[in-house]
Amino acid sequence: MIKVKNLYHSYSRDERYAVKDVSFEIEKGEIFGFLGPSGAGKSTTQGILSGLLRLQKGEVTVAGYNVKKISNKMFNQIGMSFEQSNVYNKLTARENLAFYRKLFDVETRDPDELLELVGLADKAKVKAGEFSKGMKHRLTFARSMINNPSIWFLDEPTTGLDPAIAATIKDIIWDQKKREVTTFLTTHNMFIADELCNRVAFIVDGEVRLIDSPRSLKLQYGSRFVDIEYIGGNGLVKESLSTVDDKDRARIKHIIDNNEIQTMHTKEATLEEIFIKVTGRGLI
Amino acid sequence: MKLWYSFLKELQLSSKGFYFYIEILMALIMLVVVLFVIPENFDKRSTEYIYVGLPKPASEAMLGKLLDSDTDGIVESVTIKVKDEELSTDYYESDESKVYLAKSESDLIKLADSKKQPGVAISLDEAGSLHYKYYLQGYESQKLKNLYMVSASKDLASLQEGINGQEVRSMSGDYEVLSDRANTIPALLTFNGSFMGMFIIAAYIFLDKSAGIIKAYAVTASTVWQYLMSKVLVITLTTIITSLIVVIPALGGKPDYPLLLLFLVTTGFFASALGLLVSSFFKSLNQSFNAIFVLIIAMMLPSIAYFIPSWEPFWIRFIPSYPILQGFREIILDNGDASYVLFASLGFFVAGSLLFIWSNHRHKGLLTA
Repeated sequence: MIKVKNLYHSYSRDERYAVKDVSFEIEKGEIFGFLGPSGAGKSTTQGILSGLLRLQKGEVTVAGYNVKKISNKMFNQIGMSFEQSNVYNKLTARENLAFYRKLFDVETRDPDELLELVGLADKAKVKAGEFSKGMKHRLTFARSMINNPSIWFLDEPTTGLDPAIAATIKDIIWDQKKREVTTFLTTHNMFIADELCNRVAFIVDGEVRLIDSPRSLKLQYGSRFVDIEYIGGNGLVKESLSTVDDKDRARIKHIIDNNEIQTMHTKEATLEEIFIKVTGRGLI
Repeated sequence: MKLWYSFLKELQLSSKGFYFYIEILMALIMLVVVLFVIPENFDKRSTEYIYVGLPKPASEAMLGKLLDSDTDGIVESVTIKVKDEELSTDYYESDESKVYLAKSESDLIKLADSKKQPGVAISLDEAGSLHYKYYLQGYESQKLKNLYMVSASKDLASLQEGINGQEVRSMSGDYEVLSDRANTIPALLTFNGSFMGMFIIAAYIFLDKSAGIIKAYAVTASTVWQYLMSKVLVITLTTIITSLIVVIPALGGKPDYPLLLLFLVTTGFFASALGLLVSSFFKSLNQSFNAIFVLIIAMMLPSIAYFIPSWEPFWIRFIPSYPILQGFREIILDNGDASYVLFASLGFFVAGSLLFIWSNHRHKGLLTA
C-alpha cells in the first residue's frame, strides 16, 4: 500500500537533509511503526507520504498514487490524525465531523458513531473550544476515520491521553487492522509500538537504521535468560538460567518439576532498550 | 459542492467570530458619522473679522451694505470669549460670508489671534481714501497676500465692474457635483471593502495556520483553491452587507445598485486575493503587519487626491484604490459613467483572478509552513 524508495528531504533545499535515503514498503493491513526521537525525521516522512510536504527526491507511492503528482482522489483513501489537535474551536464536535465528511467523494461514517467510538457522544453539541486537550485529541482522531480510510496515518495517537482512553484508542486501532486498514504510526512511545505494530522502523538523524517486527527484534537482541524464584530447602531461591544452554534448560525443567515456583520471567529486552542498543541514542 | 460547504462553514465561523462583528460595527459607526456628523454640505462661507474705523457717514454707508446682504436683515449682537475676556461684536451673515464687527482695533487683534483668522481694520488715510490694515497669522500664502493688496489698491466698485465684465464659460455643461455627504461615501466604501477585506482575509488565514486547520483541510479530497475561495466569498458577502448598511440609509435610491453590487464584488474579490497573496509570504499576522501597513498607506494616497483634486500626480492613477474611488463616485452620480465602472470591474476581476491563481500556487506549497 505504501512504497518508499530512496527518499530525501531538505527544508533548506541543500545537503542538510531532514530525511536521507529512506526506503521501506508497507503491506495492506499492516501496522507499521515509525519510531524515533524528536527531530529524527518521523513527521517529515509522514508529511511527504500524506502529501503535506512536497516530494523533493526519491519515489513514493501511496495507495497506488505517485506522491510526486498528487491527485486529490488519493485523499479519499487517506486518514490522518495529527499530534497537535486541529479542529474548529467555534464548531461543535458534531459540526466539525459533519463538515469534514462533505470534503470527501467516498462513503463516509456517521459523525455520531465516531463520537461514540472515541467516548465523546455526550459532547456532540459542545463547541470544540470548550474541550480539554485530550478531548480535542480524540476528536482529531475520530475525524481521521470519517472517510473510511484504507491508509491511516497516526501521529502520536495516545500522547497526552489518560490510560483508559489510550486503551480505547488502541482498541480502535486493532479494530481498524481487522478491517485491513494499513496504518503508518509515528511515535516515540515504544510500549505503544510494541503492542500494536507488526513491524517497526527505527529512524535517527533522518536515516532508517533498522526495520523488523518487535518480536524478531526481541529475539535477536534480548538476553535469552529466565529468572526463576522458587522455594528450595533453605527458603526462597533465585536463579538466572539460559534458555539455550542444554545444561541450564535441564536445570529449569528440574526446578519446575521439583519445587514450588514463586515467579518466573523471561528476560526480554524492551523495544526501547533495543532502540538504544541499535542506534546508540535515547528516545527523548 | 465542496466549495459551497466550505463557504457555509466559513460563514458559520465568521458569524461566530470577532472580525465579522468588527466589520458590522465599523459600518454602523460610518453610518452614524455620515448621517449625523458630516453635513449634507460643509459651510464654505468665509469668516471675517472686521473693525470699521471710519467717520460716521462712511461707516454707516458700509454697514448699510453689509446689512443689505444679511440673510435676515437683522444685526445680531454676539459676545465672543477670548481667554478670560468677553468681547462684544456685531454679527452679519450673508450667503457668502460671516462677518464679525469688532468694537475696536485692539478687539480685532485679539479676535484674529484667538480664532486664527485674518482680520482687517478699515480706516481713512490722510488723503481721505479707504485704508486697509490686515492682521494675518503668518502662514498665509503669497498669493493670498497679493490678492489682499490688489483688492485694497482699487476701489471696490471698479473691481466689481471689472469682475462683472469677465465672461466665464464651463468646458463641460453636465458636470455634476456631489454633496459633501455623498462625496465621502466612495472613500468609506473603499476603506470598508478594500482595506478591511484585505486585512481580514489575511487574519483568517493566519488564524487557520496557527490552529493547524489548514493542514487538516489539506489532507481531504478538497482543493486549496476551494478553501481560499470560500474565504473570499465570505469576505465579499460581508463587504456587500456592510457597504449596503452605509449606502442605503445615506443615499437611498440615488446609486445604481446593480452596478454597485457588481463593483463591490469585483473590488472585494481583488482586495481579498491581494490579502491572500500577502498572507502566503508570512507565517503570522505579526510578521505580515508591516507589509499590510505599507499596502494600506499606499492605498490611502488616492483618497488624498480624491478630496484635494489639485493634487493628483499621474502615478497615483496606477494605485488600485484610485479607480475604486472613482468607480464608486460614478455609481453615486446621477449621470455617472457606467462604462468606466464596467471597465474597472473587468480590470479588477482579471487582476483579482491573477492574484488568486498566484496565491493559490503559493499556499499549495506552504501548507505546513
